Amino acid sequence: MNSTIQNFLPEQYQKTGALEINHNYLHQQFFDHDEILSKIRNVVINGDFTLGKEVDLLEKEYAEICGAQHAIGVGSGTDALFLSLKAIDIDKGDEVITTPFTFYATVGAIVTSGAKPVFVDAGDDYNINPDLIERAITPRTKAIMPVYWSGKPCDLDAIENIASKYNLAIIADACHGILATYKGKKIGGLGTTACYSFHPLKNLNVWGDGGIITTNSIEIANKLRLLRNHGLISRDECQVFGYNSRLDTIQAVVARHMLQKIEFITQTRVSNASVLDEKLKNIHQIKIPRRETNIFQVYHLYMVLCEQRDELQKYLIQHGVDAKIHYPIPLHLQPAARSLGYKIGDFPVAENISKNTLSIPVHEFITLEQLNKISDLIGKFYEK
Amino acid sequence: MKNKISIPFVDLARQFRSIEPELTQAFHDVGRSGIYIMGERLSAFERMASEFIGTKHAIGVASGADALFLVMKSLGIGPGDEVITAPNSFLASAWTIIATGATPVFADVSEDMNIDPAQIRRAITVKTRGIIPVHLTGRPADMDAINDIAKEHNLFVLEDAAQAIGAKYKGRRVGSLGTAAAFSLHPLKNLGIYGDGGLITTDDDELASHLMKIRNHGLINRDECELWGYNSRLDPMQAAFAEIKLGYLEKWNERCRSIARVYRESLNQYVEVPRDHDYEYSVYHNFVIRTDKRPELIKHLQLLNIDTRIHYPIPIHLQACASKLGYGLGSFPRTEADAKRILSLPIYPELTDEEVAYVAESVRSYFKRVS
Repeated sequence: MNSTIQNFLPEQYQKTGALEINHNYLHQQFFDHDEILSKIRNVVINGDFTLGKEVDLLEKEYAEICGAQHAIGVGSGTDALFLSLKAIDIDKGDEVITTPFTFYATVGAIVTSGAKPVFVDAGDDYNINPDLIERAITPRTKAIMPVYWSGKPCDLDAIENIASKYNLAIIADACHGILATYKGKKIGGLGTTACYSFHPLKNLNVWGDGGIITTNSIEIANKLRLLRNHGLISRDECQVFGYNSRLDTIQAVVARHMLQKIEFITQTRVSNASVLDEKLKNIHQIKIPRRETNIFQVYHLYMVLCEQRDELQKYLIQHGVDAKIHYPIPLHLQPAARSLGYKIGDFPVAENISKNTLSIPVHEFITLEQLNKISDLIGKFYEK
Repeated sequence: MKNKISIPFVDLARQFRSIEPELTQAFHDVGRSGIYIMGERLSAFERMASEFIGTKHAIGVASGADALFLVMKSLGIGPGDEVITAPNSFLASAWTIIATGATPVFADVSEDMNIDPAQIRRAITVKTRGIIPVHLTGRPADMDAINDIAKEHNLFVLEDAAQAIGAKYKGRRVGSLGTAAAFSLHPLKNLGIYGDGGLITTDDDELASHLMKIRNHGLINRDECELWGYNSRLDPMQAAFAEIKLGYLEKWNERCRSIARVYRESLNQYVEVPRDHDYEYSVYHNFVIRTDKRPELIKHLQLLNIDTRIHYPIPIHLQACASKLGYGLGSFPRTEADAKRILSLPIYPELTDEEVAYVAESVRSYFKRVS
């Protein structure tokens, strides 16, 4: 039994040595590590672990660039979601509405909080379809957890209307969405909280697990600061039973280092995406999700729907392009969801996306030449 | 001359400097590998740790608290259950029980400041599912007696070994003595990394397999989620640091024990000092003395530039957060009496003999002055 679960790396995280154009770019990112090492050394020499000055500074800087009054560093993006739910007192018997087309952690955080996840189908932009939310609301619904999938904010006006009509909180899964804006507004200040991940593969990453929560509510910010650190109000006094979920101080150093580059990272991803949009728009077997003028999406992933998806993926990999599927099985059809009682056909749009979506490398180390190669390959594949 | 010596309660920079080249190398290796979640560096530390502790499995997680929590979740602990632990521990021993939905039930400690088996018996109800003995300050709890009770009542025993890595009880390492054990790798611990981290040890294959899943979103592979899980992984950068430090741990623990010996021998006529039973090998995460003169002694030591701490001045059952649990002043007389009298002296491997002698002499000088 112990041999069945290995300490595996998620596939998209592995360096595929044979491939020329990879999703993973972390070894490239490490080029200026000496600068980071000397800052980390200072933290270690000063014994300033466990929150500390670097975390404080990161929180200030992060709140500002994401358009919120407060930012609270935590152990991971998953914990950001979980602690946000706990900060608004979500517990057993409550329901939280979210999308079945997301990463496992969105739903894991809801279940961990004690609440029941209630799914609402996605729209063809891969995000939760606001038109379907209202009919999923019950007297037990306490919050909506929209996911800004791949870095595209949801239709927040529509979601906020529903939330205020039914008095629901909005805990936004913004793990993909740093620097994204909705109608000119930075998303960190929208909703009750916005939850970000610093996982190594995110647009702004650290070298391990990490996350951060933004909010404009001082009450929620204070509560989160208690909950992430054992509920302590001083070294010796515990006001509420809490958790232990702190952003490591040395990871805050890495995050601050990357923060200096995030504008560049984001702009490069956006421009890579528009190059791909331009090149792929005439291939009729490829369907590019709709782009909206009032939404600034930050392309954590570049995803399109495509015919003969599995064959195309194989073809691209054979030709050195690390095409990935995020993700082939929607959450309501996962083994973990069995007890929730959903079945195939319940969320046709999400199911269709899972069958047809493909992710193409779009990160800041991809060159124009590589983008050309990718689009040429896709064109050639469909000519056959 | 006297004021030249200054002894901080902890000084992590000393240890860092002593092994800096190795740590820097690990930083570069992990950095260049581009693998910042799990991977081979984590597995390597886990193998080394399981060998060191003497269990089949060692599983790295995000913190010592998560280690406790995840084991209880894996054992199916939840609302309606009761778990017995000590009230004189760090808060995480209790809040992790609350976080599962279960109720913490406290049992007072013995003279050795570890949970008293006789008090455990009195705390057992039909709802009791398990016991979390805490090896406080690095001293093993009375595991034989605790395991007997557990067997009798069919309870799990989860060792809270957060402060006790390397300690032994009757020749066996703590962490191998119960159903499972939780270690903390917090920077201040005997095996401390540079951030939060934890470790679970167990011989139980099924439990280990479940833990490996739930620490990583319940995934059995990239695309399949077998059960809703958590995100609680030990960063490989931190695992690499832990692996290096584990190579020094026995040496460091031995050094702490010899410092403890000096303190014990020089102070036993003035204050109550911790004494190992002959079957115990304590690792002195803290060296806790007991004295009625605590406030005066703290002040005296402060004037001599010696930093002390109290672990912990307010027992868990008297914390504001515990008000709903229904305990009050008088619930646990020994814990409460200790809370007023305990004081932790500086103890870490990098203290020099001169510094240790200075601390001991300074404590003595207070009592000599007043007597």
